[in-house]
Amino acid sequence: MSPKKHTILFVDDEPMFTEPLRLVLEAKGFNCVSLTDMSAAVDFLDSNEVSVLVSDIMMPSGEAFPGIDSSETGFHFVSLVREEFPDVRVICLSVIGDQTKIEKLKRQGALYLRKGETPLETAAKLIETKATGVINF
Amino acid sequence: MRPEQGTRMNESQIAALVSENERLKAELNEVRASSNQYLQNVAHQLTAPLGAIKWSIEALKDPQVPIGRKSNLLSSIYSQATILVHLIKNFALMSNLEADLELGQFREKPEPIDMMRLAINLANDFQPQASERGNKIVVAESTFHKVFGSKKLAIEKNLVAQAISNLLENAVKYADSRETINLLAQADDRTVSIVVESKGIPISDEEKRNIFARGFRGAAARQKVAAGTGIGLYLASRVMKLHQGAIHVDAQGRISRFALEFPRPKLK
Repeated sequence: MSPKKHTILFVDDEPMFTEPLRLVLEAKGFNCVSLTDMSAAVDFLDSNEVSVLVSDIMMPSGEAFPGIDSSETGFHFVSLVREEFPDVRVICLSVIGDQTKIEKLKRQGALYLRKGETPLETAAKLIETKATGVINF
Repeated sequence: MRPEQGTRMNESQIAALVSENERLKAELNEVRASSNQYLQNVAHQLTAPLGAIKWSIEALKDPQVPIGRKSNLLSSIYSQATILVHLIKNFALMSNLEADLELGQFREKPEPIDMMRLAINLANDFQPQASERGNKIVVAESTFHKVFGSKKLAIEKNLVAQAISNLLENAVKYADSRETINLLAQADDRTVSIVVESKGIPISDEEKRNIFARGFRGAAARQKVAAGTGIGLYLASRVMKLHQGAIHVDAQGRISRFALEFPRPKLK
């Protein structure tokens, strides 16, 4: 499948990290969509085919999911995606360093990248590989 | 005093000292823990904008990214740099403001400052960040003309600039998108104030009571923006105390107004 057929969904309330990633992946031909909270992202997943989800952890949950502490939103979101959209590959992009929490994400099948620490090119290549299933280094 | 009575008193004094010693030890541990947590928070707050700057630069270097789309990255780098400078100033302020307050005097001598010019400069500084969320910062120049005319305000400029910046930064973070943030001046018989007014997350009465406490962040604020130091308004309130002034919050529904109030004699 050519990159054009793949949609990558970015969910982050602070686009300062996702914007450079998005530009690099769009230049490779991927269709990228950026949303800023969990509610909007679930809405989008309900009606669109998404190959890779790149999600922040600390972000607003939005109106459809009240009562979630914003520092934990990503954990709830990843669990929901694993259950309701099992075909979507998940990458978490965050600043959290708590190994127990990171292990939990990994057990759920998510790849964890720490914002700003993984070089941009590596992050983009990992997303590309997740989307196409082809390692193209 | 009978000897045995004296001994009993000494014993009880010793017991009191021991318990006071225990209390102080516990307090010291608490302070250490909170200062560790504070340092971790500082490190995190500084790392995030720097990480974003690194990624933006990497994307700028990518020859496949079209030139036309790179200007957004430059604006983002500028915003992140503004955030960093602002944060570092807050941290620096944090460390010496308490000492200034204890001495009850300024580190630098207050000087007469043109408040409209200061307001315009600060608004310009935060405008790129505001634009990212579709917000606009407007300086109501007519209110400054009315309050200040040709007069200036005797203040420690860097401190007050930081206090106003903290209000602007909050407004940018917590305002609804595509809303206007107003920066204006107002006065009554005894005071002159600089006010930041915006429409965004509501502030409850209970939050109003705690909002200037060190480390406090409202529930809705935490919900909307996960990261924050909780020292911006605290520092602003300390800056105002040093100027024998006050800080006030007035919130009705989604409109909130933060006012930095100076005693009128500072108008010169």
